[in-house]
Amino acid sequence: AYKRFSELLPREERENLSARVPKSQILTLPELRANPFQHRICHVFSTSEDGDDSLSFEDFLDMLSVFSDSATSDIKSHYAFRIFDFDDDGTLDRKDLEKLVNCLTGQGEESRLSTAEMEQLIQNILEESDIDKDGTINLSEFQHVISRSPDFASSFKIVL
Amino acid sequence: MAAASGSAAAKTAKSCKKYRTAKRHTGIYTYQEPPHSNSDDDIGEEKPESHDPEQIFQNIQYQKEIMSNIRCRPWPMRQKLKALRQAKEIVLKYEGRLTRTRGYQAAGAELWRKFIRLAYNFVVIFIPWEMRIKKIESHFGSGVASYFIFLRWLFGINIVLTIMTGAFVVLPELLAGAPFGSTVSKTIPKEHIASAQDLDTIWSLGGYLQYSVLFYGYYGRDRKIGKAGYRLPLAYFLVGMAVFAYSFIILLKKMAKNSRMSLASASDENYTFCWRLFCAWDYLIGNPEAAESKAAAIVNSIREAILEEQEKKKSKNLAVTISLRIIANILVLLSLAGSIYIIYFVVDRSQRLERTKKELTLWEKNEVSVVVSLITMIAPSAFELVAALEMYHPRTTLRFQLARVLVLYLGNLYSLIIALLDKVDSMSVTDSDVNNDASNSTTFLATKTLSKEENLSTVIPDVQIKQNGIVTLGESHTRGLMTSDSLTNKTVSFKTQNPQDQCWETYVGQEMLKLSIIDMIFTVASILLIDFFRGLCVRYLSDCWCWDLESKFPEYGEFKIAENVLHLVYNQGMIWMGAFFSPCLPAFNVLKLIGLMYLRSWAVLTCNVPHQQVFRASRSNNFYLAMLLFMLFLCMLPTIFAIARYKPSLSCGPFSGQEKIYDIVSETIQNDFPTWFNTVITYISSPVVVLPALLLLFMLIYYLQSIARSLKFTNNQLRMKIQTERSEDKKKVVQMAVARIQNLDGNDKRPEQESDMISQESSVRSSTPRKNGSVLNFESPVGKGARIQTISQCVPQTVPSSDVARPINSTTTTSISLTPAPSLSSVQKPRNHRITNRYPSVVHGSASELCRTKPYTPVTFKKHSEDIHSEPLFRKGIRQVNPDALEAGAPVFVGRRPYASRYFIINENESRKKSLHSTSRLQRHFRKDESSDIIELYPRNVRRYVVRTPHQMYSPHPSDDEEDEEELGKEFRNRSHRPRSLSDLRPAPRFYIGERADGHILTSKDLARVHCKSWDDGFELDLDRPPYAYRKVHLNYAEPRMKPKSKQKLEQSLTESDSISIESSSDPQNSSNDQYIQVIHSKEKYSKSGTKLSKKKSKNSVDLNMSEPNELVCSNV
Repeated sequence: AYKRFSELLPREERENLSARVPKSQILTLPELRANPFQHRICHVFSTSEDGDDSLSFEDFLDMLSVFSDSATSDIKSHYAFRIFDFDDDGTLDRKDLEKLVNCLTGQGEESRLSTAEMEQLIQNILEESDIDKDGTINLSEFQHVISRSPDFASSFKIVL
Repeated sequence: MAAASGSAAAKTAKSCKKYRTAKRHTGIYTYQEPPHSNSDDDIGEEKPESHDPEQIFQNIQYQKEIMSNIRCRPWPMRQKLKALRQAKEIVLKYEGRLTRTRGYQAAGAELWRKFIRLAYNFVVIFIPWEMRIKKIESHFGSGVASYFIFLRWLFGINIVLTIMTGAFVVLPELLAGAPFGSTVSKTIPKEHIASAQDLDTIWSLGGYLQYSVLFYGYYGRDRKIGKAGYRLPLAYFLVGMAVFAYSFIILLKKMAKNSRMSLASASDENYTFCWRLFCAWDYLIGNPEAAESKAAAIVNSIREAILEEQEKKKSKNLAVTISLRIIANILVLLSLAGSIYIIYFVVDRSQRLERTKKELTLWEKNEVSVVVSLITMIAPSAFELVAALEMYHPRTTLRFQLARVLVLYLGNLYSLIIALLDKVDSMSVTDSDVNNDASNSTTFLATKTLSKEENLSTVIPDVQIKQNGIVTLGESHTRGLMTSDSLTNKTVSFKTQNPQDQCWETYVGQEMLKLSIIDMIFTVASILLIDFFRGLCVRYLSDCWCWDLESKFPEYGEFKIAENVLHLVYNQGMIWMGAFFSPCLPAFNVLKLIGLMYLRSWAVLTCNVPHQQVFRASRSNNFYLAMLLFMLFLCMLPTIFAIARYKPSLSCGPFSGQEKIYDIVSETIQNDFPTWFNTVITYISSPVVVLPALLLLFMLIYYLQSIARSLKFTNNQLRMKIQTERSEDKKKVVQMAVARIQNLDGNDKRPEQESDMISQESSVRSSTPRKNGSVLNFESPVGKGARIQTISQCVPQTVPSSDVARPINSTTTTSISLTPAPSLSSVQKPRNHRITNRYPSVVHGSASELCRTKPYTPVTFKKHSEDIHSEPLFRKGIRQVNPDALEAGAPVFVGRRPYASRYFIINENESRKKSLHSTSRLQRHFRKDESSDIIELYPRNVRRYVVRTPHQMYSPHPSDDEEDEEELGKEFRNRSHRPRSLSDLRPAPRFYIGERADGHILTSKDLARVHCKSWDDGFELDLDRPPYAYRKVHLNYAEPRMKPKSKQKLEQSLTESDSISIESSSDPQNSSNDQYIQVIHSKEKYSKSGTKLSKKKSKNSVDLNMSEPNELVCSNV
């Protein structure tokens, strides 16, 4: 893992352990390249103070450990929640869901969902998962839903 | 240290070495980092000042728990490292103090762990195709990878099967059996020897191959071979059975494991939309093309889901679709029937051809397997076309498709095997005819050759004629040779020829192997032609073509997971079917699977795109297995049928000369085992045993099924309960929040109000056995407010408890007469009311006791009344009562009946204590002190109980009242001593056990004692009977709260009990209810252990009585 990480760094910075890899570099990883949530993943795992979503090696390791096979599904769902929580407010509300759907469907015109479809979709999602009926999905609700999913743990992983 | 802890910290990295270096780096520079504050809440507060080994041990245990769970916490790496290091330091520091050996143990464990890790990394290298599969997984997602994992698993099974047959059948035969050419069955007939090495013959598995270990016919019929007397026939039979048994067991085991893993998903609860959204993306996908198709698939599935949802609401005219579907199904049925007919026809034709023609062409020899393979290749595509006609939902389409293909495969295999067995039938019939005629006797002679020898001189012409008939019927390449000139020659040739040609087992084995080979060839060809060349064409011709080949017509081949898996299943079915007749079939299959693995993975990586259809990996896992199990069962049937039904060939194979194949077992039992064993076996196999055993099995099945049903039912109910409770919780919390906000303005003036709220909230928290942490959010506001109420802490529990008790009492007893009391209590301040209040309610209590059978109701009432009058006492000490606060709290609790029972107990104890208080006026002042002491009381109580139980448990019953009352008295003294100094609290247990005499000195103690004695005497009578009710109540509501968290907190307070700081007291206050329940619970445990020790039911009551004084203290908060 360290090798892969250091490949992303410029040569002169290899020795510096606290060096951070900028987001643009991270996104060139083939494992992340095709991922629609690449920006979110970088953002969630980054500990950088100035908010440029760069990753230190520690953050990088962190990400890999979350996405590894041996992470528990609890931890996976926790991070999945944070990845899906676009505005970082601790709940998945309608806006988050909308963004999420847009991420998944991609940018193509024909693949985009229409407004009515989106409404319907979000409505259904909230009906299913929003246990306390407050219009948002919080972490525990999210984990509840995820824990029932048969193949979340098998798909929420990255292999270097 | 840093490196060591680092390497143990997380075990997720790919390579150990790399990882360790990495860890060291991170470790070094996290040292310089300032500590994170938020991770320290349960680690940073460890202040093990105590030198009590027990506590150190507990602390160590706790730290170890942290260490083992560190991976399960969603903290950043840095925090994890820090926490881990801290925990380790503590453990190291204190562990050495306890024992030296434990330190060594830890070091050893550490070493061992490292070693395991290394070994694991090492082993991964040897897992076949691990890297390859990972690579595929990272390109195409887990769905495609699941195919390869399945393939690998099948490969493993086949390896085991190969080893089984190889080690127990093939090798002994090769080593110890009669060498090639020594017996008739192992010799190639003369007339064949010329052509035995022709490619043509080899290809059809004749010639040398036919007379080799590959097939059944080669194996000798000697009962024992070699010097050691290896029973080959027996081994052959047993291994044949073991192959099936092993496959069954391993399959079922795997399925059970899988279903355990996906137990949660087995419930009918489904979150279709959520899953489609949250779990849609396969994070493994790294290939842009795969990502594109995945995105398309997601969009499709979402659209479909929406459409489905909309469709649900409106009904539509289905006439066209229905007619289309009917047509489609007819088509499918027709094609199925056609394929079956074709196979049957081909087998029949091949038989006819063999009979009529002497030289068969390559095509004619292999046409059966070629036709079967062709059908298996073409038909699925045809089905796909038909399915497009049906316009089903894609998922349904897939399911239909799979079912049809499976039926097709099965039909093929079955029609093939039935045709073969048919042939076998005709063969054996003629064979027996010949035998009868030839020997001129009705009895079957042991061996055919023998019979021939005997009758050689007399019936040769007869035999000759018959022989000709046989040869024409059976498969023979040498019909012409049979009619040679010399009579003896003929008989000789007949003698050698006849038995070999009629070895039907070999024939079946040959067919199966041939089928398998041809299937492999076709698979390879289809991969090369359809996928590879198509891919090549599309890629390189698309530039100079008139339309975009990549996106329009030919496209790239899709990797159809489901079909491919089915093909694997089919293949494995063939192996199972033929394994008995051709022991080397599993070995061949191993080779085949290896080849398939490489070819497929190569093809997938180079020229395939993932299927558009989402075929879920984990769920499908069990689906594959279920299909495999189905296949196994169905493939086993014909083999078993053949074994049981048909007579083994007379002169080839290990079972020749026996009536049935399984006779070998009974024969062995009869001859080689002691007689008693034989008799035992006879008994066991007699109907006397078998029928009851069958009945028992049926009963068992029925029983288990009913249990499963009831469990499902309970499961459903529990889920419902959780749902309702969750929503109720939420409502309550919201209500309380609103109430709190309203009260906030009067915060300074009325601290009790605030504390009221807190107690309510905390009681809500404690009373709801919830799993999600939604309510936990309200801890923090409580914590904020709690600082203010440290002094008035004793109010909360008593007040709300009475609040709670009130509505409950009124509802449970349904006596309206009681309701005045609560209302009085809430508004009351004057003391004179107290007395009046008390008596009426007591009367009510007794009255209701008469009419109600529940033993604890009177207790509650009494206490309730006591509560009422003690409340004002207390309030006077601090402040005026605030009716508003009470009222605000009361409505919240109205619906809370389920939890009432716990309050009964609290209140009951409370009442007793308060009665004492009321009699001895002295104590009134001390209540204020109590409030701040509450926190310390918990740990002390628990500990004291631990210490005390041993002798209390063995105290005789009569003295039990005494004990109890002593306890009360002690409690009193304790309380009255409280003012002395707070530091007294720690040694408290010892202090008041020994200080009984001291207690007498106190003023008005005697009075109190007398009073409480009389009280208790009346009380005990009730209490002795209902202990069970209490215990149950306790357990029901205390158990759900048994969380590690509360345990931790208890530990904390144990260690910190000496330091009374605002900070520390406010924290436990939040968790005071946790602790409180913890106390009850631990007490229950002790009482339970007590019953275990004494094994007397009477002890129950003893323990319970003893434990009540503890509750006195607990209930203060």
